[in-house]
Amino acid sequence: MAKKTYDLLFKLLLIGDSGVGKTSILFRFSDDAFTSTFISTIGIDFKIKTVELRGKKIKLQIWDTAGQERFHTITTSYYRGAMGIMLVYDVTDERSFENIVKWLRNIDEHANEDVEKMILGNKCDIDSKRAVNKDRGEAIAREYGVPFLETSAKANTNIDKAFNDLATAILDKFAGKEPGDAPDRVMVDTRRGDTSRRGCC
Amino acid sequence: MSSNQDLIGIIQAKLSSGETASSCHEASLMQGWVRASRILALVEHENEWALFIFISSRMPPEVFTDLAIERVIPVDSDFKCEIDAGEQSGDVYVNISSRKLKLLFEMIPGIKTNNFVSEIMRSMEALMKLRGPPPEFQWLHKYSGSTSNRNSADCDPAPVDAADVDVTKGAKTVAEKMLDIDSPDIVVPRQSIAQGATPIAARESVIRYQMSMKEDDYTFTETLRVFIGTWNVNGLPPNASLSPWLASDMEPPDLYAVGFQELDLSKEAFLFNDTPREEEWRKAVIAGLHPAAKYRQVALVRLVGMMLILLVQEKHEKHVRNVAWETVGTGIMGKMGNKGGVGIRVEIHNTSICFVNSHLAAHVEEFERRNQDYHDICSRLSFSKFVPTKCIKDHDQVYWLGDLNYRITEMEPRIVRDLISHNSLSALLECDQLNRQRQHKNVFDGYREGPITFKPTYKYDPGTDDWDSSEKNRAPAWCDRILWRGDGMEQKEYRSHPILRTSDHKPVSALFESQIRVIDVVKYRKVHEEVMKKLDKLENEFLPQVTVDNTEIIFDIVRFLEPQSQELIIANTGQVPVDFEFIKKLDDSKYCKEWLNIDPAASSIKPGEKCDVKLELFVDKKSASKLNSGEDKLYDILVLHLDGGKDIFITVTGNYERSCFGSSLEALVHISVPVREIPIGKLVELENVREAPGGMEPYPIPKEIWFLVDHLYRHGLKKQNLFLLTGLHSELIAIRNWLDNGSSEPLPGSLYSIAEALLLLLESTAEPIVPFNLHSVCLGAATNYLQCKQIIMQLPEFRRNVFLYLCFFLQELLSHANENGLDAKTLATVFGAIFLRDPPRVSARGRVNPAVMDRKKASFVYHFLVNDLSDYVMSKSLHLSGTS
Ligand SMILES: Nc1nc2c(ncn2[C@@H]2O[C@H](COP(=O)(O)OP(=O)(O)O)[C@@H](O)[C@H]2O)c(=O)[nH]1
Ligand SMILES: [Mg+2]
Repeated sequence: MAKKTYDLLFKLLLIGDSGVGKTSILFRFSDDAFTSTFISTIGIDFKIKTVELRGKKIKLQIWDTAGQERFHTITTSYYRGAMGIMLVYDVTDERSFENIVKWLRNIDEHANEDVEKMILGNKCDIDSKRAVNKDRGEAIAREYGVPFLETSAKANTNIDKAFNDLATAILDKFAGKEPGDAPDRVMVDTRRGDTSRRGCC
Repeated sequence: MSSNQDLIGIIQAKLSSGETASSCHEASLMQGWVRASRILALVEHENEWALFIFISSRMPPEVFTDLAIERVIPVDSDFKCEIDAGEQSGDVYVNISSRKLKLLFEMIPGIKTNNFVSEIMRSMEALMKLRGPPPEFQWLHKYSGSTSNRNSADCDPAPVDAADVDVTKGAKTVAEKMLDIDSPDIVVPRQSIAQGATPIAARESVIRYQMSMKEDDYTFTETLRVFIGTWNVNGLPPNASLSPWLASDMEPPDLYAVGFQELDLSKEAFLFNDTPREEEWRKAVIAGLHPAAKYRQVALVRLVGMMLILLVQEKHEKHVRNVAWETVGTGIMGKMGNKGGVGIRVEIHNTSICFVNSHLAAHVEEFERRNQDYHDICSRLSFSKFVPTKCIKDHDQVYWLGDLNYRITEMEPRIVRDLISHNSLSALLECDQLNRQRQHKNVFDGYREGPITFKPTYKYDPGTDDWDSSEKNRAPAWCDRILWRGDGMEQKEYRSHPILRTSDHKPVSALFESQIRVIDVVKYRKVHEEVMKKLDKLENEFLPQVTVDNTEIIFDIVRFLEPQSQELIIANTGQVPVDFEFIKKLDDSKYCKEWLNIDPAASSIKPGEKCDVKLELFVDKKSASKLNSGEDKLYDILVLHLDGGKDIFITVTGNYERSCFGSSLEALVHISVPVREIPIGKLVELENVREAPGGMEPYPIPKEIWFLVDHLYRHGLKKQNLFLLTGLHSELIAIRNWLDNGSSEPLPGSLYSIAEALLLLLESTAEPIVPFNLHSVCLGAATNYLQCKQIIMQLPEFRRNVFLYLCFFLQELLSHANENGLDAKTLATVFGAIFLRDPPRVSARGRVNPAVMDRKKASFVYHFLVNDLSDYVMSKSLHLSGTS
């Protein structure tokens, strides 16, 4: 009996102003590393990472986008097909926070209607230069009905949680819609590669 | 097929005489995470089979010296071959394992793979059918060296020296020497990846393989007390408690496997396999279990008189999985159920266990039949609910119990009894047929049996402890036995229970402490996560990666008709070959603007190599007007797409120097100075604001047209092939500069260049002289001069002026036809295409035949070349001889 290489594939997207830490967040999540040098992303890049949620193996394909103004029109064409979008701002950069509304509007115009969203206030490790309070992040998230987390790619705060939460939200919606369609759980038993009909643990 | 024959020939050349390659196949060996090409061959030598694995220096190999033997795996009782075919993915994974060695091969699905795998299966069946001692594989001795000095670039880590593998067992068999155990560490042969197409194997098979290699990291062992009992009850119902047999130990066992033979000797039982005794004995067993624990029945299987019950302590029940049972009759006609075996298999935690209860052929001298029955049970007892089906040997642990019926031979019954009464069992055990047959490896090869310290369990007068007193006066024998096979099994007790006197046999039991592998869920998760992480990392690493030397290409000053180019270097910095392509973005019709040309726009780059892409910027008649009007800019974002990977945005910018070429007639008539002297903003305004700006009385026609025509009129009326021969590019540039910058010098360039410049000026406008909206009207009216005339008269003023002005000039040219050789038809065709330029897209519409259109355009213009135009109201300044 064939085993699926993964149960589900989720395409996620990171958007937000240039320099807010999108690439760093992805790097932290996929490679568990951080670098303080800033290399502006000129294009669209992705990494994959497999997570296990609710007993399902989920392959996340996470797209990192160029945040620069001049690429905005092009990057919106990558919204379609994304099942989850992370909107990232920088807690030390007021403008990037104000622009969240603009990014939200962008999503409304270009992304799938039922896309799951999440707002991240990144660089929460920096206290000295903080420009946006957590309250304000929470407030805007409440206003738009989007989950919110403060993260730090540098200190590895809430990075895994952010992706897991977003993926879980997609999974729950997915499972709710097509109960019969969810692929079988992949067996934990690997000993013989046999056709066990039940899983263990 | 013939190519397979060739391959067999090459392999055969590699082998020694007496060895025959019967079948071969190309396959990919999973090394850690990636595939490496291998050739597999099944080789036979005097009914012994082995699987040879070759590395070839080229694929396919051409001569036998291309091949190196990587490994030889004897097809012995430890050899396993499992297939794992992907449903949709189409991959076929074949798991070859032998003892601790596990190899995963990927094969291309199809008849060849099927054939090869069934050949392997056949060789395994041949082994099962083999009688006598198991094969020794002496002929493989000479290959054992080749397994350790593999010298391929992409081979896995140095094998563990076979000599270290298991010193406890003493001298090793050839088979053991052949198997060097791989370290399960992940080794990625980057070189081979760099050459290969898609190196990362389908994930799930690899994860499973990796997990099985790391089993020790996430399992621990738990000791299970296993009680095995066997009793031939001689067709009698239970008449006493079984607890002296089943509950004779202090501690309650974790698991019971209790087997009976001759449960019912009635005809009904034999013919219809139905007996009330099943339930009677089952109840007796349950009643006799150890009182200190609660048990649950896992399975019960019965064939005629052979019954096997498996029970576990309640607390273990949830860890018991994949239960199956099966029966094999070897009795009358080789299949009836009076003799044979029944089996139950389970998995407890992560260990598979098989229990077999058998009743082998009777009669003292029939030991060979008994051997035969054993082999039949081995080959025929298979649990078919699994794919592939599982046989007895496919289990980690096997318990074999039953009335095996082996006797004590070559000894008078009287002497036997005598020896027993003197407790001299060892002399008797030497004459035990089973012991002898096992010594000769004729039966139960690979099984162990504990030392027998109890008296023979057969044959007694029922109800007593007295030896058989019937006429037959049978010699006592150890008919009832318990053997086992597998790792981590320790027998603690092996005994009979003479106190149970129901039957002519005494029950026998054995107690084992067996190590069961238990998955540590936390550790399993961790290992699994690590494996997935590693795989993710590799997958990310093997995504196509390039760097481009510049993502912002800046062209400095760009002028009309002067191409410029810049190079973009795309370097493959990743591990895999990259296919790149510039792709369209959003709703664009092409991957770049029309003023840009990319060469190559798509290509492949090998890892470590580079590709120079030439970006040529060229503003010509098609793009100039849009740049002039500001509708377009020298600005474009290119999307460089890597197949299966990322997109890189490359920004191209340039500074366009506006020219009269590409300006509209309406704008030009309002400019009295050279175009370059007008500020850009003003130019753009002129292009977009259509009403006449104040300040200047517009020219009737653009001065640039007048300059060019006037020059041709003065100097070129007699020139042959004017408008037909092309000019020089450099002269066109000089003419452009002269017009755009103004000059006191005479107009540069040859007459041909000036004629071409005129055409180019007319072609570079956003709209032709006859606007696009009149295009089809004109074509429709082409045969009718009056209609054509009307259309022309209705043209906007400057267009009409230019049209007529040019027609006057062309008529002048034609009046010198005998000198310049021009004719009206030719000029009508040239200018038809210019005056009535196709609207964008119309020309692309395949429906209209372009030749027909061209003819109509020509005939439209033709009227104006051959008819007298003097009745047109003309402004004075349109006269060709007018002054500037
Ligand atoms: N202190 C701190 N710096 C961060 C954090 N995340 C990103 N940065 C830095 O912010 C800069 C921009 O990050 P980058 O990930 O390239 O931003 P992007 O343009 O949104 O992809 C880099 O110099 C990062 O090192 C964070 O959580 N804390
Ligand atoms: Mg970035």
